This record gives sequence, C-alpha cells and structure tokens, in this order.
Amino acid sequence: MKIQISYTGRSYQTAAILPAEITLDDGGTVDDALHLLTKDLADDQQLPMSCLLAVSGEHIGTLASHTNQSLQDRDELILIAPVAGG
Amino acid sequence: MGGPAALMLTMGGIGRVIIAHGGDMISPDLNRQVLGSERVLGRPRAEDFGDYLRSMNQFVEVEAIGHEPNATEAAELAERCDIILSCPPTFEERLRLNRAAVEAGIPFIDAAQWGMTGTLIVVKPGETACLECLYPEPPPFEEFFPVVGAISAATGSLAALEAIKILSGTGDPLWGKMLTYDGYRGKVTTVQLQRRALCACCSSR
Ligand SMILES: [Zn+2]
Repeated sequence: MKIQISYTGRSYQTAAILPAEITLDDGGTVDDALHLLTKDLADDQQLPMSCLLAVSGEHIGTLASHTNQSLQDRDELILIAPVAGG
Repeated sequence: MGGPAALMLTMGGIGRVIIAHGGDMISPDLNRQVLGSERVLGRPRAEDFGDYLRSMNQFVEVEAIGHEPNATEAAELAERCDIILSCPPTFEERLRLNRAAVEAGIPFIDAAQWGMTGTLIVVKPGETACLECLYPEPPPFEEFFPVVGAISAATGSLAALEAIKILSGTGDPLWGKMLTYDGYRGKVTTVQLQRRALCACCSSR
C-alpha cells in the first residue's frame, strides 16, 4: 500500500531528504513507516523526538510516544516538528 | 507575532488589550516587529508598543507590561482576561501561559513560527487538547532560528482572527486543532488534536 509523507514545522527543509511517498506491506503500521523513513538518515538528520505525528489529519502523539496504529492505503503520515518562534 | 496579533485586535476594537513583552527594541527584530520602528531602537519595547496601539484606536484600552509574566503573574492576568494569545519565543513561556489559561478556564491560542512556517493551536480548556497534552516536556530550546516577518504577521493575524471569532461567537473556531501553514511549500495542514489522559495540566478538568 502507498502512504503519503508530509513533514513540516521547524527545519522544514528536512522534507527534502524524505520521500513524498513510501510503500508498505498490507497491515503495515506507523512504526513500520517511521522505520522505513528514518533508517537511512545520518545522525545529524534524525527527526526530533518531540515531532508531532498525525495520520490523515488525526493526531496520534509524538515520535517518542504514539499509538502504533495500522495504516490504510493512501493514508497521509504527517510529521510536524515543534515550532516556538515568537 | 504578538505584535501583529495585538495590532489586529486593537484595530478590530476588541475592548481591552494587555500586551506583555520584555527587553529593549533591537534592530534584528525589526524584520517582524510591526509595532516597533527604527525611531524607538534601544527603548523598552512594551511601553512603545502600547503607545503605538493606543494611537491606532482611541476606543481600546491598552495595558503594556514590560516583562514576561512568571507563573503567578500569568495566573493573575488570566483571571482578568477573556482569552490568552501565546506568542513568546520559548516553549517554557508558552506552557506557562497554557497552564494559566487552563486553570482560569479561558480559551488559549498558541501562535508560533519558524522561517516560512506558522502554526496555530486553539484550546478550549477541559474540552480539547491543551498545549501540554502535545508537549508534556518542553521541546529543546533553539536560540537562533530563521524569522520571516511575513509569516509572523500572517500567523499573528490568524491568531487574532480566531480570538475575534471566539469572543464574538462568530464562525467555527479551530477548537482542538493545529493549523500549519508551510509557506515554503505553500501547503496548509490541519490536524485534529487528541487530549492526553494523563496530562498534568488539563486531565482533571
Ligand atoms: Zn492537556
């Protein structure tokens, strides 16, 4: 199944090193998607653990603590790095 | 982005605006501080920001506080307000204002920016996720980060719009949602936020 990937927030240029879409086996989960996304990132490219995660518009926690739910074909996995600029 | 938010609220005739901002006006901030100018460089910001706001609408009462409120002051201010707009540069300050709003039971709008991206979170205490539901611990502080004044003004104005909607009972506020405008890509994302059952700030409300 195909999963769309969106990355935004702080250091949004990080999106350029992530694929816009990944392919998972049926029954794949959020953690399967995150593993695929991050396994080839260098140490200085790792995503912040406080990144918010959402699946197709529904917030599921942070990179550090989230519901590891199953994904459906065409879901959008959204990563929003924390933003605090005033 | 507290400047554009306060300006839009004042021009909109909101009634009374309390603006809190510490420090003196410095030139690097002139790319986004719409209430400042080269004329007031080196002077305490809050005082001049207050004067500028008063000059924009004689019918709005403006109170300017020349420092960032601590937890006690934030709680006292929340008791005197109908809504809090949170626009400081650190998560510690944002979480402090969030807690003051939740304890006072008043709406809370968090507006933030990084480079060309702005985010907006609208909290109805006891009903929707609060900022601490999202960030139980403050994410790491970043002292230097890019600021584009256009996104500060846009996000601050959207925060003011949400406040006007809430206070006037008009339209559909973004209750419990996070809106992200990624200006770098021209993409808008809206996420429905989830309360955290063990949130130390709001779970008992
Ligand atoms: Zn909470």
